Amino acid sequence: MNRLPMTARIYLAIVFIILYVPIFYLIFYSFNSGGTMNHFESFTWEHYAAVFEDTRLIVILINTVLIALLSSLLATILGTMGALGIVSLKNKKLRNTLLSLNNVLIVSPDVVIGASFLILFTIIGVRLGFASVLISHIAFSVPIVVLMVLPKLMEMNSSLIDAAHDLGATKRDVLTRVILPYIKPGIFAGFFLALTYSLDDFAVTFFVTGNGFSTLSVEIYSMARTGITLTVNAISGIVFVITLLVVIGYHIILRRSSKDSSNVEVRV
Amino acid sequence: MKSLIQSAIAVIVVCALLFYTAETLESTGSAGGAGVITVYNWGEYIDPDLIKQFTEETGIKVIYETFDSNEAMLVKIQQGGSNYDVAVPSEYMVEIMKEYDLLIPLDHEKLPNLANIDPYFLDQPFDPGNEYSVPYFWGTVGIVYNPNMIPEHLTFETWQDLWDPALRDKVFLVDGAREVMGMALNSLGYSLNTKDDAILRQATDRLIELAPNVKGVIGDEITPLMVNNEAAVALTFSGQAADMMWENEELEFSVPEEGSNLWFDNFVIPKTASNIDGAHAFINFMLDAEVSAQNTDYVGYSTPNAAAMELLDEEVVTDERFYPPEEIREHLEVYENLGLEWTGKYSEYFLKFKMAL
Repeated sequence: MNRLPMTARIYLAIVFIILYVPIFYLIFYSFNSGGTMNHFESFTWEHYAAVFEDTRLIVILINTVLIALLSSLLATILGTMGALGIVSLKNKKLRNTLLSLNNVLIVSPDVVIGASFLILFTIIGVRLGFASVLISHIAFSVPIVVLMVLPKLMEMNSSLIDAAHDLGATKRDVLTRVILPYIKPGIFAGFFLALTYSLDDFAVTFFVTGNGFSTLSVEIYSMARTGITLTVNAISGIVFVITLLVVIGYHIILRRSSKDSSNVEVRV
Repeated sequence: MKSLIQSAIAVIVVCALLFYTAETLESTGSAGGAGVITVYNWGEYIDPDLIKQFTEETGIKVIYETFDSNEAMLVKIQQGGSNYDVAVPSEYMVEIMKEYDLLIPLDHEKLPNLANIDPYFLDQPFDPGNEYSVPYFWGTVGIVYNPNMIPEHLTFETWQDLWDPALRDKVFLVDGAREVMGMALNSLGYSLNTKDDAILRQATDRLIELAPNVKGVIGDEITPLMVNNEAAVALTFSGQAADMMWENEELEFSVPEEGSNLWFDNFVIPKTASNIDGAHAFINFMLDAEVSAQNTDYVGYSTPNAAAMELLDEEVVTDERFYPPEEIREHLEVYENLGLEWTGKYSEYFLKFKMAL
């Protein structure tokens, strides 16, 4: 692992350059006083100032993060319960059917999901806005969480549970002291994946926003009609930094929890 | 388990903080009490300061939402679930919305500033008597070009110039059946609302002759191409041309004399409106001479507001490219709703042309 062959290293470098150059290009020009992305004139904070002066834009940014956090949290809880439920099924056929249904939701096009939600919400009379966006984000995040938690549950040795029972653990103890600590990395992975899904979703959100509630992706899409202004670059820069912080946070948690779980194993 | 619960609580605390911040931010600036209206407009199509000014003057809070196409807006309004008080469709969409019974008739007594609008833009065929709509901005379809990249004798005073052999592989067309077919019809001296199969076929043949000059049929990407001098000539809307010329001063815009399309974006009040008085107040506010002048200055499209034009820079309103003189105006035509059959025919012939490229 330490010594990658030269070709592999070059390949990796190219991949990362292709992935990151557009982002840094975008952020670089958010400091351009020139007003366009054609050539760099001089350094300025004015586009960032423009973002912070526009309260509407700030509210939309906050809404986007709020929806992402809240929907991922709820989706993680639901998804983990779902995964536990699927694993506990004795009937193999039913289990596989449920799993396939879960996967269908992951691969089905966002446009279809979005349009279906719009129709559903208008039929049952849910006002478009915060609630409708939250519900649909939870809905498309749950299958992802299930998929992240399941492998952890599958690889778990069932004798761990038997041993816990033998040592006098109740069902509740088994869940909170054995299973959940064991699958914790899967749960966190599911949460963070749901977070990124929710942050950048456009297709579903587009259909279910309304009544003044909007998220960044939808807003930027409408703004782009008259050409991308550097304000969009500035917002993108801010969002990139937020995502970076989230990833760093994820790594800190992961490192701490891997220490925790080694403790658990000692205790068991 | 403990760390899971801790993390969950941390997320909830952050959410609560974010929610609180959003709420306080949203409530600042609203005088409170006098109600709320929701305005549904195109992206970047209003000066944000004017929304603040409206709230300060009337106490009505404005929830402002944006859309990017007439069709997207239609779907949201048709489906309900959101209370839009004011929307800004283009003229053909006003006609469709009228047909679907989605609009509320305007109370002209509550719109005294309607008198500011140039009568030329009122009482158009898509909405006789302006029963349902008030023009917001207007424009034409024309040719934007870079004089440095083409021979001097081409000034596009006539559509004929597009067919010039010197323009081989240099022309971009906007991807719209009505716009391109309309251009061909105009160039042959016919109305762009023609409902005659033989004439349409003639226009299609004319377009196919243009094929060697056409480099692409594209949408909004035309703007950066023209701005960066990567394309020489494009058929597009005057509003888009104004944006391009704002960023690239070399560009020129021309509305050929044979005639062209005249388009409008209009204020309407959808049936879903919950604050009809507020909606009228907003429309009336936007029709005010000073407000409209400030807005026109910000948006950069052509205003139908005669009183506002007196307040605008002389240089802007005498610019014949965006405020065409009488002789050219006479030849401008508004799109009529062709009905399903003829809309289909236009698209079909346009597709035939695209396949010949």
